[in-house]
Amino acid sequence: MFAPRRRNRRRRAALAAFALLAGCSGGGGRTPVVIYSPHGPDQLGALEKAFEALHPGIDVRWLDMGSQEVFDRLRSERANPQADIWFGGPTTIFDRGVGDSLLAPYRPAWAGRVGPRGVGPGDLYWPVYRTPAVIAFNAQAVPRDSAPKDWDDVLEPKWRDQVLIRDPMASGTMRAIWGHIIYRGIKATGDTAAGMAWLRKLDGQTRAYVLSPLLLTEKLGRQEGLVTLWDLPDVLIDRQRGLPLDYVFPSSGTVVIDDAIGLVRGAKHPKEAQTFIDWAATDEALLLAARVVFRLPARRDLPPDSIPPWIAEVEQAMKETEVDWALLAREGPGWMAYWDQRVRNTGKKAGAR
Amino acid sequence: MKGRNRRELLGLGLLLLLSWLVVYPLAIVLVEAVGGPGKWTLEAVRRFVGEGNEWRALGASLGLSVASAVGAALVGIPLGVLTTSIAFPGRRIVSTLLGLPAVLPPLVGVLAFLFLYGETGFAAHLVQRLTGLDEAPWRLQGVGAVLLVHVATMYVYFYLFTRAGLSGLDPSLAEAAAALGATRWQTFKRVTLPLLRPALAGAGLLVFMTSLASFSAPYIFGGGFRVMTTQITATKLNGDDRLAMVETAALLIVALIGLLLLRATEGKADATGARKGVGPAPARVVRPMARLGATVLGWVAALVLALPLATLILVSFVPRGTWTMEPLPPVYSLVNYRTMLNEPSRLAPILTSLWMAGVATAGALLLAIAVAVLSRRGRVRSGALLEGLMALPWAVPGTVFAIALATTMSIHAPWVGRFVLVGTIWILPLAYLVRNLPIAGRAVLTGFRQLDPSLEEAGASLGAGRGRILRRITLPLLRPALAAGASLAFVTAFGDFVTSIMLYTYDTRPISIEVLSSLRQADVGQAAAFGVVLMALSAAVFFLAGEGQGTTG
Repeated sequence: MFAPRRRNRRRRAALAAFALLAGCSGGGGRTPVVIYSPHGPDQLGALEKAFEALHPGIDVRWLDMGSQEVFDRLRSERANPQADIWFGGPTTIFDRGVGDSLLAPYRPAWAGRVGPRGVGPGDLYWPVYRTPAVIAFNAQAVPRDSAPKDWDDVLEPKWRDQVLIRDPMASGTMRAIWGHIIYRGIKATGDTAAGMAWLRKLDGQTRAYVLSPLLLTEKLGRQEGLVTLWDLPDVLIDRQRGLPLDYVFPSSGTVVIDDAIGLVRGAKHPKEAQTFIDWAATDEALLLAARVVFRLPARRDLPPDSIPPWIAEVEQAMKETEVDWALLAREGPGWMAYWDQRVRNTGKKAGAR
Repeated sequence: MKGRNRRELLGLGLLLLLSWLVVYPLAIVLVEAVGGPGKWTLEAVRRFVGEGNEWRALGASLGLSVASAVGAALVGIPLGVLTTSIAFPGRRIVSTLLGLPAVLPPLVGVLAFLFLYGETGFAAHLVQRLTGLDEAPWRLQGVGAVLLVHVATMYVYFYLFTRAGLSGLDPSLAEAAAALGATRWQTFKRVTLPLLRPALAGAGLLVFMTSLASFSAPYIFGGGFRVMTTQITATKLNGDDRLAMVETAALLIVALIGLLLLRATEGKADATGARKGVGPAPARVVRPMARLGATVLGWVAALVLALPLATLILVSFVPRGTWTMEPLPPVYSLVNYRTMLNEPSRLAPILTSLWMAGVATAGALLLAIAVAVLSRRGRVRSGALLEGLMALPWAVPGTVFAIALATTMSIHAPWVGRFVLVGTIWILPLAYLVRNLPIAGRAVLTGFRQLDPSLEEAGASLGAGRGRILRRITLPLLRPALAAGASLAFVTAFGDFVTSIMLYTYDTRPISIEVLSSLRQADVGQAAAFGVVLMALSAAVFFLAGEGQGTTG
C-alpha cells in the first residue's frame, strides 16, 4: 500500500527537479555572446561587466583556457561552432586558425588605428594588445640584483630545479618564447639544434610544468620555484594582488606577442560578437584593461594624459627582439611536437652525465 | 510464429542501434587513422610506429596498469580479509570508511590527494615543520605519484571483491581443513585463496582496465610521465589530428587485446566451491594481541585512506587566496558554498551534471531492459551479440570513446548515420549513456538471471498480456537490480571527467570541468567545494538506491 505512494512522491520530486532545470537554462532573455579566451578570469570578468553595462541586452559568456586549447576547441567544433569570438593569443596561432578556416572576416570600427603589425590577412583577425614576455621571480627569495638579467642567465646552476614553466603545449605565450629561442638559434647557426639544446638545458633546470597561468604565479609566490618565463600582465596582476613577484625584461630583447581578436566563422551570434569586437579596442576598453589587468594596448593613439604611468615605464624598459612570425606560424607545431617528444624531461639526465 | 518474427525484427533493430552507438564510432576512428575513404594513407601509422616515444607511452600505460593492479591487490586483499575475518572494535565503521573510494569520482580522488599529500599539502607541511626543512620534503609528481593515487583509489575493487568473496564462502570448508590438521595459514593458502580466485581475477581485470583508461591522475600529476591517454590529448592539442587518431586506435586495440587475454585467463581460474545453505563464517575471535594488532591496522588504514576525503571537506571551507604559507588554512567560511548557490553560472554546472547523468542513466537502463527482455525472455537469435555489444564500452577508454564520438558526430551525413552533434547539448549525455551501458546491462542481466520465470509464466497463464507481465511482474521484481545498476551508472556519469573534457560546451559544463577550471584559477577552496558536492550527491544516490531496495525488497 505504501510503496506506490512513495514512488509517486519520488516521481513528482524528479519532475519538479526537471522543471527547475528547464527554468534555469534560459538566459533571462538576453542574447548570449560566447568568448573563448586565454585572458584569464580577472580580465574577462572586468570586460564582461563593463560591456554588459553598456549593452544590457547582451550576455557575455566566456570560457577560460590556453590559447592553443582555444584553437583545438574551435577545430573540434568546426561543424557546429559554439564560440562567437576568439579573443587572445599570438598571431601565429590565429594564422593556423586562418589556415583551417576557423575565422570569418570582420573589419572592426577601430581597424584603421592599428597595424600593420598583427593584422590578419583578409580582415580575419586584428591586434588588441601587445603582450611582452618577461623573466619573473619571487622577490622575497631573490633580490633584484641577483635575478637573471637575460634568457641565458636562467640556465645558471643556481636556478637548477628552481624554474617553473607553464605547460608550453597549451600556451600561446610559451610557444612564442620557445619560438624565439629556436629562431635565435637558427639565426646564429642555421639550424634548430642550438635552440633545442638550450631548451633541453632549461628542462634540466625546470622544477615543474604547470597547468595554468594562475597556478604558475601562485607557485612562484609560495616559493615552489623561484624563476619563470611568462607574460607581463599576469605577473603585474598577481603582484597587485599581493604576491611577492618581480620581473625583468631580458637584456638581449624579448618577444612581444600581438594579442589578437577575431570573429569565429559560423558564429551563432555574429551581430553581438561584432558589437563586442568593436568595443574591445575602444579607448574605454583598452584603458580599462590597461588599468585593471595591465594590458599594453596595440593602439598607439590613445589620449596620452589618460594612459596609466606604468605603460610609459614598460615601453622604456622593454627591448623588443625581432622574430620571424611567419616562420613560427609555419614551423612552430613541428618544433613543439619535437620538443614535447624529445626534449621535455631529458634535461636532467643530460645534465647529470 | 508471428510474434517470434516480430521479436527477431526488434532484436535486429536493437542490434543496429547498439552497433551504431557502440561500434560505429570506434570503426570510424580505425578508418580515420589510415586516412579515411578516398585518401588512404599509412603516413601517420608509419610516424607512430617509427617513434620511440609512442611505444614508450604505450608501454607506460601497460606497465602502470599492471603495477596498479598489483599494488591495489597488495592493499585491498589484506584489508578485505582483515575486516571480514577478525573481530575488532569499530570493525563496521572501518569497513565503511574503507569502501568509500568506490563512490568517489576519479577527479575528486585526485584532488583530495593533491590537497593532502601534494607538495604544499597538509602532510608535506607537517613533515616540513617537524623536520625543520626549508623545502617541501617530496613532490607529488611523475610515475610514482600516479601509481600512488591509483593504488589508493583502486584498492577498493580488491577490497570489495575480497569481502564479497569471503562472505560467500562456505565456512564448513575451512572447518574441514582445520579438522584435517591444517594450520590457519595453510587453510588460507590452500582453501580460501583458490576459492577467492574468480573474485580476485575480476577485481584485477577491473583495476587493469580502469588504470589503462585513467586520465585524471596522469593529467594532473603526470608531469613529464606520459601514458597513452595524455599522449593523445597532447597530440590533438598540437593540431596533429591524424597522429592523434592513430594513437587513439592503438590504445583501443591494446585495451581490446588486454580484455581478451585477461578474459581467457579468468575463465581457466574459475573454481566454484559447492555451497550449501550455510551462513557465512562469523568473524573470528582471536588472541588479545592479534586483536589489538588488527584494531590498530584497520584504523590506521581507514584513516590513511579516508583522510584525503576529510582534507577535501576541510579545504572546501577555505576562501580564495587566504591560504598561502600556513600549515593549516587560517580562515574558514561558507563562502564557496554560498557562491555555488547564489551565482547562476556556478550553480549551472551542478544542475547540468544532474540532468545529463539522469538522462544518460535512464537511456542506458531502457536499452539494457530491452536487450535483457529480448535476449533472456524472447530468446532472439541476436541475443548473445546484443549482450556482447552492451558490455563492449567497458573495455573502451573514455578518451578513445570521446574522440571517436566527436569524430563521428561532426559530419552531417544522415544516410550513413552521421549527424552533427558536436557542440550540441546532446553529445555529452549520449557519451555518458554509451559508457553506462555495461553497468546498466550487467545489473539488469544479473537481475533477470535471479528472476524465477515461473512467476511470469503464472502471470501469462492467468491471462496477462506481455506488456502487463513486464509492467506488473518483471519490472517490480527487477527493482533491486535496477536500483543498483541505476545508482552506479548515475554516479559514473555524474563524476565523469575524461569524456567531458573533450565534449563539453559552455551550456553543458559539468561539475568536473568546473572543478578543473577552479583549480586552474588557483581557487582550491572552490574546487574542493565542487568536489564535495560531487562526492555528497554520489553518496546520496547510493544511499537512496540502497534504501529503496530495503523497503521493497
